[in-house]
Amino acid sequence: MRIEVLGLDKHFKNVHAVQDLSFTVEPGRVTGFLGPNGSGKSTTMRLMLGLDNGSGQTLFDGKKLTAHSPVTRTVGAHLDAKFFHPKRTAYSHLRMLGAEAGISKARVNEVLQLVGLESVAKKRPGGFSLGMGQRLGLAGAILAEPQVLMLDEPANGLDPQSIQWLRDFLKFYASTGKSVLVSSHLLSEMQLLADDVVVIARGKLIAAESMSKFLGRSSGSAVVVRAGEATRLGQLLHNMGIESTANGLNTLTITNQTTDRIGEVAYANGIKLSELSSQTASLETVFLELTDSGQEYRLGGEAK
Amino acid sequence: MAAVVYEWRRLWSVRATWVMSVVYLGVTALLGGGPLYLGDPGMRVQTWKGLYSTNGNVLCLVMLSVVASQFFGHEYRYGLIRLTLSEFPARERVLVAKTSVLAAYVTIMTFVGWSVLGMIGALAPEGRISTSGVGLNLSGGQPSDMWQVLVFGFAYCVLAMSITMITRNLALGVVLPLLTATLIEGLVQGFSSLSNGKLDWLVNALPFVNGNAWLGKAPDSPNAGLIFAAWIVGAYLIATLSFFKRDA
Repeated sequence: MRIEVLGLDKHFKNVHAVQDLSFTVEPGRVTGFLGPNGSGKSTTMRLMLGLDNGSGQTLFDGKKLTAHSPVTRTVGAHLDAKFFHPKRTAYSHLRMLGAEAGISKARVNEVLQLVGLESVAKKRPGGFSLGMGQRLGLAGAILAEPQVLMLDEPANGLDPQSIQWLRDFLKFYASTGKSVLVSSHLLSEMQLLADDVVVIARGKLIAAESMSKFLGRSSGSAVVVRAGEATRLGQLLHNMGIESTANGLNTLTITNQTTDRIGEVAYANGIKLSELSSQTASLETVFLELTDSGQEYRLGGEAK
Repeated sequence: MAAVVYEWRRLWSVRATWVMSVVYLGVTALLGGGPLYLGDPGMRVQTWKGLYSTNGNVLCLVMLSVVASQFFGHEYRYGLIRLTLSEFPARERVLVAKTSVLAAYVTIMTFVGWSVLGMIGALAPEGRISTSGVGLNLSGGQPSDMWQVLVFGFAYCVLAMSITMITRNLALGVVLPLLTATLIEGLVQGFSSLSNGKLDWLVNALPFVNGNAWLGKAPDSPNAGLIFAAWIVGAYLIATLSFFKRDA
């Protein structure tokens, strides 16, 4: 199911929290939703679900969410790890959430087992850890096997094994043709998980594109070539208008080019290559480059 | 219908509902049975109608109002409103479901309360239930019809739920109607008596003064039912507006 976010806008008194935000979330892909603290990620998700009042609209396969029935088979949302009544058992919580889609008791038990909470199904979640709360929230979101999963910081409080499980699960979920929108500030994790990224800062859209294209934005992305005739290759590239930097005796670093293009030039001129590799910037590097000025709350007393 | 099932499961899957329901029946039994056995022997005679009006008393209704306040109180306190509205984005569905389930809950509890009072009456010593009964009537007004007890109870709970919706505070939903009915209106009436009738208009506009006058079909207050209804409907409309206009 394709999600189209069209011109979402939201004010909180004097704060313009979300500013004319538009992007799409494609089916069959995991879309990472990134932004600094206070950038408007959670507000955007709430606007998408109609929980907050604002302007703009969100269409799910061309229709508003209210036009879908049952809604829980369309969108499963997990917005906070503590959204449960502390005295209502995990099992009862899911039974309640399953009412709209007519979820069976067997499916509730199946989901509890899937998220690893079957042993505490009849326990009150007031004493659950943050990680267990995340699992319960995720269980609620996937209960009706929705076409769209929207998860707000689902990896917070999870141990490394659980994070790996979550990553595998979300990738599998998307591979079945469903849409997954997941916000996180665990950038290394997001780099492993997301196919596409939507980046916002101060409520404005910074980027909405594939992960590979986003990583290519960084000045740190480059092609590294090692060859015995590195100097000749550098001269040839220079003659073609491609600048390179000598990095040691036999190594060149070339920005804004692909390995395919450099390989073609070397092959056409009979230059034997010892190494031809792509040096990609980390998501963290690109993210910080693009959102540095858009940080709402800054450490070190340099608040803007 | 799914929203009603959701609310029904939500209602009965927390212990507080069960506890308050049992306490409601216990208080009803105590207040209904007490006058048949305790106090001045001359007062130990009750009418059936007087006995069955016991659970229209605010001291009983406050237990139901705790449950009524939970309908939105727990939602806001624990952030569950966002789960609820994610599942039912059309807010009117949520409001209708909650109000319907509240009506069902109050109806069931009132009938169960009447059953308890019926058993107490049946077990009472010979002669204690009589048409000439003068026993303690804890309601402000002796109801002329039993359905009024049910409607009054539901109205009281709707007021509690509405205040919770407006304030997003469960405790205020319970305390404000209780204080108004038991203390504030009494104080206003006291001040009015000291003001040589200058504040009569205010007394005549108070919700529970009118509610009790309506229960007893007081001949000097023909519009009491309308004024009481205006308070309840007004509070409910403000609550509805705030529910629709504010962020979840």
